[in-house]
Amino acid sequence: MTKENNLYELFKDAVILLLSVSLVLFVQWVKLIRNPKSTPITTDTLIGLGMLWLFSLLGIVISMLMKKVPWKIIQGFPILGWVSIVSLIFCLLSSYCVRVINAVDFLSLTTSVLAFAGISVTHRLKELTKISWKILIVAIFVFFGMYFMDTLISQIALNLS
Amino acid sequence: MKYLKAYGPLIILVLLIDTVSEMISTQVFKIGKIEISILPLVFAVIIAILVYLIPAKPIKKLYNDKRVKFAGKYMILIMLPLMARYGANVAPKINEIISVGWVFLVHELGNLGTIIFGLPVALLLGLREEAIGSTLGLGREGELAYISEKYTLNSPEGRGVLGIYLIGTIFGSIIFSILAPLLLGMGFNYKAVAMSAGVGSSSMMTAASSSLAALVPKHSDTILSFAAASQLLTSFIGTYIMYFLAVPLQRFMYTHITSLLDKKKEVYPDHD
Repeated sequence: MTKENNLYELFKDAVILLLSVSLVLFVQWVKLIRNPKSTPITTDTLIGLGMLWLFSLLGIVISMLMKKVPWKIIQGFPILGWVSIVSLIFCLLSSYCVRVINAVDFLSLTTSVLAFAGISVTHRLKELTKISWKILIVAIFVFFGMYFMDTLISQIALNLS
Repeated sequence: MKYLKAYGPLIILVLLIDTVSEMISTQVFKIGKIEISILPLVFAVIIAILVYLIPAKPIKKLYNDKRVKFAGKYMILIMLPLMARYGANVAPKINEIISVGWVFLVHELGNLGTIIFGLPVALLLGLREEAIGSTLGLGREGELAYISEKYTLNSPEGRGVLGIYLIGTIFGSIIFSILAPLLLGMGFNYKAVAMSAGVGSSSMMTAASSSLAALVPKHSDTILSFAAASQLLTSFIGTYIMYFLAVPLQRFMYTHITSLLDKKKEVYPDHD
């Protein structure tokens, strides 16, 4: 039963991933209309998109399997990380992978993701009014502090090396 | 067919948002001497929210519960091809990344910046327990899980972490795409700014690193690969930094600053 459920989930995920890569193709096409000098759509682009689809699916499968591993650090590792690692390994092994994936315009991958993100938060906008203004001020310092300190330490360490 | 009716309009909405965002294209603003690039991805977030705010019945229907929940639940999946794309960015740069590997490790200490900058401000504003939740980190999943386990989310600490979580979820990508160019403009090396992009969620990292890459197109490969590599590392050790460094530091600063402010030592709230 659970095995069938897993397979059904995986099929659903595969369909949504297909939607995702199709959106990428759409955005890359719109980009080309806006600016004919941007990354062209070639056969490589299509193969690259297929590869991204495949690596994503592999990452999902690995993340499912790793939930059964007894180490917490592995169990809790996000699915996003697994996908990056799967893709990184393939790209290290074959420069063909790098070539076709590079035919997919990077920024074209980002727009739809953030459109989804924007839509997904709309129903929570009301909750924002419940946050006290003090937390809003703190948030500015928290975000800036994190990024600033990270950059400062990196800069010092880079200068030392 | 059932699915098409339920989610078709959502997909059309996304296509429209994409089209408008791409037509606006990347815009570069100048604030004084500092250049800030706003990418289509930021416009996509803003447009998605602005359209929802139009007070019309069809819009409320378009953004119905089912579709908004779908967008939230499957955003991770929609994002996976992007995460796979990073593999092709990191692979050609792997030697360069490994050669400065220790910098990647050390810079994770920057995560303590939320406490060092945020906690004094929060305490000065009169926040106490809320300050703990709201300054432990960027309120991402790790902190959220820790605070809710230790204090529950209904406590003042929980309210604090939820506040930061909400602000980060809604405005995170916008904030990060402004912060990265800002720090570059302050004179930091693009490599340092790039590797610091991987501190929050993956969409924050993407927003920061791509707006940085738009400003330094010559080094865009290095920028994207450094950001992605640091994001990976953070996913591995971020939680441990929080447990073993952030929490003790927060406890230390909390008791000392409150004893200065309140003329009596306040106890760092531990769960009972």
